[in-house]
Amino acid sequence: MDEIVTLAHGAGGKKTAELIEKVFKTHFSNPEFTGDDAAVLQIDGNQLAFTTDGFIVSPPEFPGGNIGKLSVCGTVNDLACMGAQPLYLSCAFVIEEGFSLAKVEAYAAAMEKTANEAGVRIVAGDTKVAGKGQVDNLFITTTGIGRVMQGCHTSGTFARPGDAVIVTGDVGRHGCTILLARDTYGIKADVTSDCAPLWGTVKTMFDTTKNIHVIRDATRGGVGTVLYEIAEQSNIGIRLDAAAIPIDKAVSGVCGMLGLEPLYLACEGRLVVFAPKEEAAALLETLHKGTYSKNAAIIGEVTAELAGRVIMKTEIGTETMLPPPGGELLPRIC
Amino acid sequence: MCVGLPARVIRIKDGIALVDASGAKREISAELLDDLDPGDYVMVHAGLAIAKITNNDENETDRIMEEL
Amino acid sequence: MKDEKKTAREIIETYNGPAIRIMEVCGTHTHEIFRLGIRSLLPDNIKLISGPGCPVCVTPVNFIDEAVFLAQKRQVTICTFGDLVRVPGTVGSLAKARSEGARVEVVYSPMDAYLYAEKHKTEQVVFLSVGFETTTPASCLAVRKAKQNHLENFSLLTANKTMPQAYQTLKGSADAFLYPGHVHAVMGTTSCEELVREGISGVITGFTAKEIVTALAVIIIKHREGKAFFKNCYPRVVTAAGSKAAQQVMEEVMEPCDAEWRGLGTILQSGLKLRAAYETFDARIKYTMPKLVGHSNTACRCGEVLQGKCYPDGCILFGKTCTPEHPVGACMVSHEGACSAFYQYGGIHHG
Repeated sequence: MDEIVTLAHGAGGKKTAELIEKVFKTHFSNPEFTGDDAAVLQIDGNQLAFTTDGFIVSPPEFPGGNIGKLSVCGTVNDLACMGAQPLYLSCAFVIEEGFSLAKVEAYAAAMEKTANEAGVRIVAGDTKVAGKGQVDNLFITTTGIGRVMQGCHTSGTFARPGDAVIVTGDVGRHGCTILLARDTYGIKADVTSDCAPLWGTVKTMFDTTKNIHVIRDATRGGVGTVLYEIAEQSNIGIRLDAAAIPIDKAVSGVCGMLGLEPLYLACEGRLVVFAPKEEAAALLETLHKGTYSKNAAIIGEVTAELAGRVIMKTEIGTETMLPPPGGELLPRIC
Repeated sequence: MCVGLPARVIRIKDGIALVDASGAKREISAELLDDLDPGDYVMVHAGLAIAKITNNDENETDRIMEEL
Repeated sequence: MKDEKKTAREIIETYNGPAIRIMEVCGTHTHEIFRLGIRSLLPDNIKLISGPGCPVCVTPVNFIDEAVFLAQKRQVTICTFGDLVRVPGTVGSLAKARSEGARVEVVYSPMDAYLYAEKHKTEQVVFLSVGFETTTPASCLAVRKAKQNHLENFSLLTANKTMPQAYQTLKGSADAFLYPGHVHAVMGTTSCEELVREGISGVITGFTAKEIVTALAVIIIKHREGKAFFKNCYPRVVTAAGSKAAQQVMEEVMEPCDAEWRGLGTILQSGLKLRAAYETFDARIKYTMPKLVGHSNTACRCGEVLQGKCYPDGCILFGKTCTPEHPVGACMVSHEGACSAFYQYGGIHHG
């Protein structure tokens, strides 16, 4: 293990998995410890989902949202992925000395609005102020609890050969938006974050069928990282059709400029769904009616062979491997 | 070694061109290319237009195959 | 079926003649060939070898050591292409130096490094000037502008390289070269035509699927004719003369020097350094750089991989101690490196 923490440890790829495996799992291991987005707990006969997430986005405001909206969406979506209706959230603010109070209020207002939309209540909180330079603007951590719907049983280990792989919209938009908002590379493009609370989307899917094997929200690390996680956890192979993956034209333009793979850019309002092929058409029909899933598409299928790998059918009909998730996303130029 | 990006020139002034590559826009240096006009396509590498693009790959490869 | 009625792809897929070794010199070709799954079209008697045209891969260990030295011991801000950030030096990479507090800024172009220096006058800014003839003009323009505008907090750490001398070194490694399209967009086609006279064959091509497949078909057909050949299959970007303006700015700002290529050793006159008129912008002079002797892992076979003498999985480190997360050799670091491409895409198609 490297002796110091690097940005790669936080990028959601192999290094993150290594940190969890070697440090956190060693010390926290227990029967409920989860590799999924949220832990599912049996409490007095009730099935509850429980999760937490920290948000450190820079800049804190971006087209399509801000850190407040993001902090509610992230936790609501983690609960939703377990088939759980989000009920309550808590939030912890760590604010840098000197930060604008008006902005804090704007983020709180965004949290309120998003929580209302998701049907969740923010019931507890904590505030800390750190000295100038000790944090970057502000960090928000949210923790959420939800009730697992009757008959819903999803897990990253449940993908089976014959499943269709669905994404609920175009990929990489949030990551691209943040990249542009930082203005590091002088690129301008009309891209808005996909940041959205997805409990409504998940509920309509389960109302269509309970026969869904995996739902995962593609956040940090993007859809590509989720696909590799599921391929490993379920011990299956995934065959993608590159032409079927919805990608916004401008996102693809930005990625072309910087040599980045859109499948590895973060989303904040996109689910990756694994369900038996025969359910896929009905699910897609449902998704196309939803506010946040109009561009949902079947992007591939699960295979028994090549377990742990993600294979992609290319534009010329050949097959290649989707490169496994790396560390920090760095532009490729020279 | 040299990632090149084909892009369309939107406007050009004092050797600086604003280019568009499927919706991604950026100012790049065009000082090495003469008589560049809006609408022209250029090959961009590391923020510099290195060449004007005079055809598309489909027509060009078709012609090469015919010549063979 | 006669060849003239076959598509480029059919010519490749049905080839059953003697074995042909084709070296794609350029790292972007390597990357695109893997990304597009082009190797899976090739019959067994066509071998593609990934050559040394990834500037990150051929940049010697001590260049990274020099950059880390400047960042840590001279407290400069390093501006670099993203490609170099994770390359291991003798002690560590720039990513490691950054996590220990060094200032490392990733830029899209040398001009952005110039602009960073202009905006941050209290910092000393060093741009890591790597690359071949495609990239070097941009570095030269930035440094020329810095001189014109008396920007004193900007300098270059150079490791720029030129391709023709490398072709000479590699001439026995392949039957034909897929020449790097964008190098020749700048340099024109003269060097390739000279190589034909020495019996070295190759074609210049672009980077789309159609262009790469067409170029491979052209090589197959021309190779069968038995004579050394050259064809420019990328005239939409590459003209015979190349970019005179780019050649001029390189000539004005830089001059040839001997250069060390990681894995290949020193190749005479294959590098570029700043001319005396620009020496105040030469970071090695400006910061009195000590002589740093880099040490790379001796088991690493990147050098042989770059010359087509072994495939990446012929190295005992490959995929074991050397992976994209923990690269040992430079070919594993860059996305364009042969080892990285083999590792990331190589699971299903080999060779």
